[in-house]
Amino acid sequence: MGRRTLFYLGLVLLLLAVLFPLYWVIVTSFKTTRDAFAIPPVWLFSPTLDNYRTVFANRGFLSAFANSFIVSILSSALAVAVGSVAAYGLAQQPAELRRAREKFILSLRIAPALLFVIPMYYLATRIGALNKHWLLIAAYAFVNVPFAISLLITFFDDIPKELRDAARVDGAREFSIFWHVYLPAARGGIIATLILCVLFTWNEFFVALVLTGRDTQTLPVSITSFLTFQGIQWGALTAAATLIMLPMIVLGILVQGQVVRGMTLGSVKG
Amino acid sequence: MRPVAAASDPTKHFFQPIIVCLTMASVALTLFVIWISLHDLSLMRAGREKFVGLDNYIRFLGDPRAMAALWRSVLFTTLATVIEIALGLAVVLFLDRDFAMKRLVRTLLLVPIIMTPVVVGLTWRFLFDPATGMANYLLSLGGISLVDWLGSPQIALFSVLIADIWQWTPFVILLVMAALESAPTDPLNAARVDGAREWQVTWYVLLPMLRRALAIVALIRAIDSIKAFDLFYIMTRGGPALSTETLNYYGYIVAFTNFDISYALAIAIILTVFTNVALLTMYSVLFPKTGDR
Repeated sequence: MGRRTLFYLGLVLLLLAVLFPLYWVIVTSFKTTRDAFAIPPVWLFSPTLDNYRTVFANRGFLSAFANSFIVSILSSALAVAVGSVAAYGLAQQPAELRRAREKFILSLRIAPALLFVIPMYYLATRIGALNKHWLLIAAYAFVNVPFAISLLITFFDDIPKELRDAARVDGAREFSIFWHVYLPAARGGIIATLILCVLFTWNEFFVALVLTGRDTQTLPVSITSFLTFQGIQWGALTAAATLIMLPMIVLGILVQGQVVRGMTLGSVKG
Repeated sequence: MRPVAAASDPTKHFFQPIIVCLTMASVALTLFVIWISLHDLSLMRAGREKFVGLDNYIRFLGDPRAMAALWRSVLFTTLATVIEIALGLAVVLFLDRDFAMKRLVRTLLLVPIIMTPVVVGLTWRFLFDPATGMANYLLSLGGISLVDWLGSPQIALFSVLIADIWQWTPFVILLVMAALESAPTDPLNAARVDGAREWQVTWYVLLPMLRRALAIVALIRAIDSIKAFDLFYIMTRGGPALSTETLNYYGYIVAFTNFDISYALAIAIILTVFTNVALLTMYSVLFPKTGDR
């Protein structure tokens, strides 16, 4: 009793503050409209899947799901492919050269997304690319590449230099060292980088809001349509919100050791 | 074994093309942005732009809406950064002991960080609903009169701030926690052996060791809060009565509601310059020349 109990009480309060909003959204998605708006709130209720049926009957939402999936996978794969080649080269450079590059990459983080989204939007309207998937994939790849490079360098640095030296003594070319030694040795880090890119792209809202058209809307943009359509349909909205965030929470927990590491390097957040 | 010297180091070919592409894209983009901001370019009448010099920048200085938005950005960023750091540090010190399920707690703290920001905004809008939201229900339990969280111009900015604090304090906690765990424990024990009280150990030994981590996370939070957009768009759309319109949000409105992209880019450039100056000042305060690095 005493200090220990107090500590666990504080811990419970902390976790409640962190998790309650999430819990409340997920629970609401299984409630009927009447239960969702009952005051005082209903804690025990018979769950219903009606809200999910509404969401899955919404064709806009389904196509947004497909768009988000395609755009985040392709742009992340592109960024990691390009980024790993560059990161391999940079990892072999002397420290002062790398620090200059890192400063450049950090300075990209400071610039507001507005600065590059407006010219892109302007050019896209000129060439009629606003409703094309490749525009979004290119935009996200452009933002993800610097991030992928700086994160991948930290993983390549963990690989002992002796491996590279040994391969060179055996007469291996640089590319085959990269392909046969570094890529397999850094597999875990590369997958983590890929997952983080997917996570940031999937969650990103501002770039998507500006650069998507009717056919290319991603999930965060598409969900805002529930906001204006005949007031707010909280039931369907919470169901859609749950479907959007759950896959990312699962992915994030898979690479949990790397999330904070990745976010301190620079991210695509608008 | 190495007949060719570093002059033709083949590893350079791995990164140079990409760095050159990125640099060229950035330079081209910067020049284009500056060019647009010096013209009078509107999406409503494309192809009829004319050179206007610094007019867009002068217009900014005389635009009360922009000035108010800049002030709101400063207020929001300062409050968010200070509160998140203070609260995060308090939680880190609170959790700094061995207890069952510490790993699980750490995993759970990750959840707000990786949650889709749009969903975070919706969640808090739901909780802040004036009639049926959880926030007002809790207040009514405590016998406190109801609050119009997002509908009152005096309160809305702080309601968005609460959502931001909820999402990003865990980030501060996890980053500082990692720094704390990699810090050496010898100085702490030495101070204790010398008879220092627990608060003295924390204040004089532990905090100085965490200074670097705290400074880095403060810079990151400041950069990201000044650019905050998602929560504002979802929770308030800059309203009510423009009371939550930050400069970044105003720039978006100018560009995509008024289609005045020249003025919008002038705003974006001013925001970037302002952020850089503020961060350099912050940086020199947080990392004095005599300190580490």
